[in-house]
Amino acid sequence: MATELVKLTVNGKLFEVPKGARLIDVCREKGFDIPSFCYYADLALQASCRMCLVRIEKMPKLQTSCTITVADGMVVTTQSEEIEKAQRGMTEFLLANHPLDCPVCDRGGECELQEMTFDWGGLEERFTEQKNYYAERYLSPMVANDPQRCILCKRCTRVCDEWMGEEAIEAGGRGAHTVIGTYLGWLDCSQCGNCIEVCPTGTLLDATYRHQTRPWELAQTVSTCNYCSDGCQMSIGSRSGEVRRVVARDRYVNGINGEFLCVKGRFGHPFINHEDRIRTPMIRYKKGGKLIPATWDEAIRHVAERLDAVAEEHGRNAIGIAGSPRLTNESLFVLRKFATELVGTENYTTTDVHSLQPFFENLGAPLATHRDIRYAKTIVLIGGDPGEWQPLTGKQIRQAVRNGGAQLILVNPVPIRLREQTALFLHVRPGTEEAVVLALADPAYDSLAADKAGIAAEQLGAARQMITSTDGDVVVMFDAGLSAEAQTVIAQLSTVFGGEGRRVLMHPLPLFNNSIGAHDMGLMDRGLTAYDLLEKAGGEVRAMYLAGGFLPEHLRERPDALSKLDFLVVQELFENETTAFADVVLPAASYAEIDGTFTNNDGLVQRVRQSIPPLHQSKADWMIVAQLAKELGLEFGYELSASAVFRDVAKNVAAYSGMTYPLLKDESNPVQAKHQLSAATNFGTTVSALHERVDSMDATGEKITVTPDVGDGLFRLGMLTEKVPQFRLLASGNPRPETTAVSPLYQIGRSVAAGQSTTAD
Amino acid sequence: MSSQPTQITRIGPLSQPVSLGVEPATFSSMVEAEIDSHLAKYPVARSAILPLMFIVQRERGYLDPAGVLYLANRLKVRVTDIWEVATFYSMIHTSPIGKYHIQVCRTLSCKIRGAGQVTEYCSNKLGIKVGETTADGRFTLSEVECLGSCGTAPMLQINFDYHENLTPEKIDQVLNALP
Amino acid sequence: MRIEAIGCEPLQLRRVHLENSRSLDVYRRNGGYEAVKKVLDGMSPDDVINEVKKSALRGRGGAGFPTGMKWGFVPKDSPKPKYVVCNADESEPGTFKDRYLMERDPHLLIEGMLIAAYALSAKTNYIYTRGEYRYLIDIMDLALDEARAAGLLGNRILGSDFSCEIYTHTGAGAYICGEETALLSSLEGLRGHPRMKPPFPAVSGLYASPTVVNNVETLTAVPDIIKMGGEAYQKLGTEKSGGTKLWSVSGHVVHPGVYELPMGYDDMEKFIFEDCGGMLDGKQLKAVIPGGSSVYIMRADQIVGKDVRMDYEGLVAAGSSVGSGGFIVMDETVDIFESTKNLTEFYKHESCGWCTPCREGTDWLVKVFKRIDSGDGRPEDAQLMLDLCDNIEGKSFCPLGDAASWPIQSAIKRFPEDFRRRLAKNGDGIS
Ligand SMILES: Cc1cc2nc3c(=O)[nH]c(=O)nc-3n(C[C@H](O)[C@H](O)[C@H](O)COP(=O)(O)O)c2cc1C
Ligand code: SF4
Ligand code: FES
Repeated sequence: MATELVKLTVNGKLFEVPKGARLIDVCREKGFDIPSFCYYADLALQASCRMCLVRIEKMPKLQTSCTITVADGMVVTTQSEEIEKAQRGMTEFLLANHPLDCPVCDRGGECELQEMTFDWGGLEERFTEQKNYYAERYLSPMVANDPQRCILCKRCTRVCDEWMGEEAIEAGGRGAHTVIGTYLGWLDCSQCGNCIEVCPTGTLLDATYRHQTRPWELAQTVSTCNYCSDGCQMSIGSRSGEVRRVVARDRYVNGINGEFLCVKGRFGHPFINHEDRIRTPMIRYKKGGKLIPATWDEAIRHVAERLDAVAEEHGRNAIGIAGSPRLTNESLFVLRKFATELVGTENYTTTDVHSLQPFFENLGAPLATHRDIRYAKTIVLIGGDPGEWQPLTGKQIRQAVRNGGAQLILVNPVPIRLREQTALFLHVRPGTEEAVVLALADPAYDSLAADKAGIAAEQLGAARQMITSTDGDVVVMFDAGLSAEAQTVIAQLSTVFGGEGRRVLMHPLPLFNNSIGAHDMGLMDRGLTAYDLLEKAGGEVRAMYLAGGFLPEHLRERPDALSKLDFLVVQELFENETTAFADVVLPAASYAEIDGTFTNNDGLVQRVRQSIPPLHQSKADWMIVAQLAKELGLEFGYELSASAVFRDVAKNVAAYSGMTYPLLKDESNPVQAKHQLSAATNFGTTVSALHERVDSMDATGEKITVTPDVGDGLFRLGMLTEKVPQFRLLASGNPRPETTAVSPLYQIGRSVAAGQSTTAD
Repeated sequence: MSSQPTQITRIGPLSQPVSLGVEPATFSSMVEAEIDSHLAKYPVARSAILPLMFIVQRERGYLDPAGVLYLANRLKVRVTDIWEVATFYSMIHTSPIGKYHIQVCRTLSCKIRGAGQVTEYCSNKLGIKVGETTADGRFTLSEVECLGSCGTAPMLQINFDYHENLTPEKIDQVLNALP
Repeated sequence: MRIEAIGCEPLQLRRVHLENSRSLDVYRRNGGYEAVKKVLDGMSPDDVINEVKKSALRGRGGAGFPTGMKWGFVPKDSPKPKYVVCNADESEPGTFKDRYLMERDPHLLIEGMLIAAYALSAKTNYIYTRGEYRYLIDIMDLALDEARAAGLLGNRILGSDFSCEIYTHTGAGAYICGEETALLSSLEGLRGHPRMKPPFPAVSGLYASPTVVNNVETLTAVPDIIKMGGEAYQKLGTEKSGGTKLWSVSGHVVHPGVYELPMGYDDMEKFIFEDCGGMLDGKQLKAVIPGGSSVYIMRADQIVGKDVRMDYEGLVAAGSSVGSGGFIVMDETVDIFESTKNLTEFYKHESCGWCTPCREGTDWLVKVFKRIDSGDGRPEDAQLMLDLCDNIEGKSFCPLGDAASWPIQSAIKRFPEDFRRRLAKNGDGIS
């Protein structure tokens, strides 16, 4: 359907613009600058700053262009003496009680009020009265607050409500005494810091970065987050080889996440420059001995000799190889190449918790991007808790429902927080999500599924009805931990649900920033998992080469596996449970120190850019592997450049063919990998396989009725977040300190809360 | 709270991970019944927030943390939602207040008929300034905006009772008669 | 204090002096609930709306919007529930008529609401009363219980097919909650901030459903309109301002009180000097704020000898407006600088804080007033205040911003001498 156009005159020029567009957007697009503070596209309208005033013919008074929808024949003036006086008047009002000490304000140089004053103010100061005063304070270990600087645009409260569904920060008081804050002044939320990001002034500030640098002294590098599989775009601010802060991409130009980041993306970076980073290669010359620093040459030579020896003695399959789903595509690609072309082992995998191999092998519909999710009409979420583990996806779902009127069908044993947005909640018994998958695929199984899941069979009919009556996109999301049988059926659900005017899109929910890339680079194509590889330790597998250690959950399941190995090499950032068994430890560079790409759960291939030089003696993972390969006699020919590796990726991985770094340059225009789609050939068999699984399910489990606290997943310490003192405070319940006038960290110190369970970050 | 509220399903009291260090307040079954009767008036529980705040205030003197927690649980909102509303309305008190809240109207009609003298008289009599509470916690003196007694000015309100057409003698009478 | 009609038969004030006027019994014996009966006995909702349109009744809450037209905006085909909300927030300084209507004749309000609810097919209805009027809420609750017991509320009212409920709701001290959209926010349990219009409450009001908000005085006029017919009611007043109007008189007159006058009562001077008993202690009249604190202040010489007609058109012609009918009379002892300061402090206290000009403007203005008051006035202050008012007026989110600027603008213009005296010795900047 073509959008209807209407005629609009702005400052004497005639335009044809889409009907229903917002006047402020249209004017800006046509090059007429209109100042504003409270207006924020895709948030509820506020119309409180009164900056965006324009004159519209036939209307009394000046009008706020942020609230006006264009109408045919509308005649608008955006610049005149009257308008300029009004806008100056508003700026003057905003500055009246605002401290005019920009030089000591953390937002100086990035402040929209400062900028607006520069652009529109032209003021002589007429306010000579005493300013209203409020003391600075901390709202949490992450968020500092200087209430005096607030202009009450309420972007913060709106992002908290609408993006995060947390409603943790609100306006209190009235009139000139209105302040943004919380009950008893302590912020009880997921600490995403999006309120800081959207704050146009220095009112809400990053407490972890406060008073460290001036923003213009920072080198800003656009990169991709290294925590969850959503792949938010971010800007890493560094100075003198140290990462000082992370903000979302940019205040105006944005990647897939706009100004959104979660607590880990925004505050989880201090591991990068952490003093515990492994500084040099280290060799343990004798089992049970100590790791002793060595030079790179020594270490590489040592590894090459030992691997050679193992292969000689036990065969090539005796060498197990695994790469972390946190590494770049480049590193994972080189690792696999090393495994297959040089070592020639079949025992390689990635150290992820789940495998999406069955899903991708049977993929019947394209992956949904986060934009698709925002504009979807129906979202089916099977298992998982994206609010905690893929926060951007969580936000997109919430906005699709709240701002876009989408219907959310939730299939989950736990009433997760997204339950508040559901049109239909199938509250199943623990572990029985797959029964619902079965019924979605074939109504013949409704009563079996209802029985197993402990829900009413009508609910399954209702869900199907909602999906098949959707006009627009249906996005099916699922926890990556579902069984191979369930993944296979889900991958083909488009055969059941596709239809005229209805697109079915897929959105897997793996845990790591490059879980998808690890799959794409072929590390899972043997069907081997990290657990399987550990199982083989000491048996078929005598030595392991790991780019990134195993996860605690892997080792918990196979506690003595690593001790059975003859030889273990680990590339790592920190010493951990895996390096404890290593014979050689090689210092790897973190994502902030290297170039490369990550592939997110949309299948978007996004750039990772070097923000600071590699710390100490660390190197990119791919570079270490390539160097070892060379030592072993195979030259990969990458000449120290990630882009050369990526060219090789594009040549060898079908889904990435044609991609180059220049093509991936613009984060606001991301490029999706072309995962191969296959039509269902044997859907019946697939469904029967799942039926068998469901048939044998236990149908007695008790439903979980408690909604997990905010932070249930986000605050669990992982190897990286554990290095961040603020995260330790969060993990220990975000206790409110004696006084909020002083930084909580200073008060409580780093001694608090020795880490709890260590799982995926 | 957004400018244009969207109705969302509440799944129960939202998680409040930060402890307020208190247990929610409890009330007698009579008070609970009164609260129920207010909740029954509205299709959305949150609508009852002001009537319920008055009840908590009556029972506990002011909206203390235990009362706030009670309201949050009862209305299925967060404590901060209670705070944002409580601090907007001048009749809701989030800090302790005297047993008798003497509120002298200061707005124009009263002002030109002697509100200033009324305040001054009370202030002298009680030995406190506007905004203060007597040491025994009996009286708090406030100046408030127009109470709709302009035709019977000057006036003051003690808790919910109106006292109008005031003279010094009448003020004495009223204050002395308080139990 | 007097409560009486002047220049007409008491209509809304008909029962206020009867013994036990609050009781259902007295109400019924004096013509009560006959209008509801008439409506249920054979008027369609549209008939009711038409009568109200014919009556030329204009909203008595302050804005003066034609009531029948407002009711007509409610979409008939909306599947959502509809609400009638009575605005009993009465907080405009100088206004206290709604209070006496509710105190003395609560059933009149109930009957008015029932008719409105019938006309708009509203099942659930609320009376939003300012929190300070707690005793009135108790009175209304008792009356509602009485009505319920008599089958006048609840299911199948008076045996008809019409069912409806009315509940009281309390505010808690916020003038802005008298503004109809802020009132609805407050009724939903939120902070009392006004909401964007459009959508107007008639389309999307309480709980995003069609809602009519009317003042107490407006709703209490409805039973008589139904009984006597819209035309007859209109004829009590003028063509564009139908019926009678209550004026709350306060300040320096011998008999302050609530007076019911026909719309178009033809002489404000006579009203002050005869009907209200003249000036207190024989002092000189200096100024009148005729319609509640928000309207333009008038000088004595705009009233005396000027035959000011007391209705919407007449007061505009005389340089002010009817507003809520809060009629504040000030004698020569009042310093208009101080009275304006007093009102500006009111508006600052009551600004909800949502929008920039009202929040910051009223704060700034009060600071200037206080500085001048403490003796530090500057010649340019008057101009500064006027300019600040100009930056507020017409730019705020809701009319409170305008209401805060008008008293200052009119006072500086009409009483320059009271400001001149406070500013500086050498020149005053007032032209
Ligand atoms: C700041 C402000 C305060 C108001 N206060 C009141 C009030 O206390 N009582 C009232 O009835 N209307 C008040 N109004 C007017 C209402 O917004 C609304 O116009 C009125 O309730 C509609 O009823 P009516 O048409 O019967 O007058 C106020 C308006 C504004 C802008
Ligand atoms: S003008 Fe603005 S700040 Fe003032 S009351 Fe209205 S919305 Fe609130
Ligand atoms: S942007 Fe329009 S009022 Fe703020």
